[in-house]
Amino acid sequence: MNFQGLIALVEMELKKLVRQPANLFLTLLFPAVLTLMFGVVFGDPEMGMDMNLVIPGLIVYACIFMIMTIAQSFSAERQEGLLKRMSTTPMTSSEFMGSQIITNMLTAILQVIIVFVLAVFVGFRPNGGVGGIFLAFPIVALFSLSSVGLGLITATVSKTPEVATGISFVFILPQMFFGTFIPLTNTTRQIAVFIPSYYVVDALSLIFAGDWTNSNILLDTGLISIVSVIIVIIGVLLFEKYGNA
Amino acid sequence: MSAKPDRKDDTAIIIKDLVKRFEDVIAVDGLTLEIKQGEIFSLLGPNGAGKTTTINILCGILKPTKGTAFIRGRDVAKNLKEIRALIGLCPQEAAVFKFLNARENIELFGDLHAIPKKESRRRTDMLLGLLDLAKTSNKKASGYSGGMLRKLNLAVALVSDPMIAFLDEPTVGMDPRARRATWEFIGSLKNQGKTIILTTHYIEEAEALSDRVGIIDYGKLIELGTPKKLMEKHEAKNLEEVFLKITGRRILEGL
Repeated sequence: MNFQGLIALVEMELKKLVRQPANLFLTLLFPAVLTLMFGVVFGDPEMGMDMNLVIPGLIVYACIFMIMTIAQSFSAERQEGLLKRMSTTPMTSSEFMGSQIITNMLTAILQVIIVFVLAVFVGFRPNGGVGGIFLAFPIVALFSLSSVGLGLITATVSKTPEVATGISFVFILPQMFFGTFIPLTNTTRQIAVFIPSYYVVDALSLIFAGDWTNSNILLDTGLISIVSVIIVIIGVLLFEKYGNA
Repeated sequence: MSAKPDRKDDTAIIIKDLVKRFEDVIAVDGLTLEIKQGEIFSLLGPNGAGKTTTINILCGILKPTKGTAFIRGRDVAKNLKEIRALIGLCPQEAAVFKFLNARENIELFGDLHAIPKKESRRRTDMLLGLLDLAKTSNKKASGYSGGMLRKLNLAVALVSDPMIAFLDEPTVGMDPRARRATWEFIGSLKNQGKTIILTTHYIEEAEALSDRVGIIDYGKLIELGTPKKLMEKHEAKNLEEVFLKITGRRILEGL
């Protein structure tokens, strides 16, 4: 295992995040702005919005947008010949994909911190206390695997970053409408049970509501883990077979 | 590493009956060739002749449809990991991370080759100096001119100090002065015992640098030898004329 190469790729990806304004905006600033806006607009109890649902929704919302940035990034690197060039180095594809997974898990954790801190700043006080944040980290990090997988699937079928942007919404929109902060009806909930983000919001809502012992948290986490791992494996396999050239 | 039957100590590359087909197009058509260690070998031919496809097969980017190729006795179809430790590729496009500066780009590829940090830094400094990029090494590649990007592209290929370097049209887009300086640099690599496989459609470049030239057209090797011998054989003033006499076309016609 070339740890030196793996760490260098993670560093490179983090520099990309910070130095490319579009990436920085979508990944970190956008969720921050949304949290502030939602906090100010819906934080008032008179609005009738349950912030224990809205904040998990915002955390998930930030994470699902990684599908777009990952797809754009892979498509651009393929277009610029960078993937081809990196494939001629001794780095294995599993080391390369490992670096992507680590980077995006770190980004997801950073997003959780940003949304949570800003939410507390605008008045959100989880019933279960701020300790819930520590349980949110592993759950969202696991969920970020599915975003990596869906990003890779998008990049596989997209020839250019522009096409990747459009296609990524195929995966973003259902998760956005059925598994973030948008209240669900009995009908939409029947669709939502097939959407991975629904289970993340469910688990985080229970945690933030202080219902720590609820067995659904464990069930949700298990389901998120299994689905995310399956999606990332499919993404990696498809990208390596059809998307790398 | 076990010695393979095709391995000869002075042979860097052996290509046997190599074929690459893309649907209806045959990009490489039965190429057979040997390149010696320490040689500067140019693949000369018009655009679409099969030069880049050949390099991509040798670097393990593409799989051949038929035939075999060995790099220092290692089969490109079976021993890619070992081969990748021996080679450096300077692709036709300037494949560098635009949001990183020159130094970061070169050092990143040093890390991907698992070169110790100190050594990687030393080589980076050396390459930046030799390619006249030292003063702008902290500038993001996105701010580089086309010629500077080509130089950076070359530096990235060489940070691992590869035994065999594949340089695919390394001077495209450079002004004449930078091109000459790059030729000198490539010539100096030969003095370090490196094998250089150069693809070019610049006649002057092939004549100035190559120990031997393989002229390739429609995927077939149509002539092979030292530039001098090829010109003598075809009673030509330059390699362009050699190509013209063999094919009835000019190399640059397709551009």
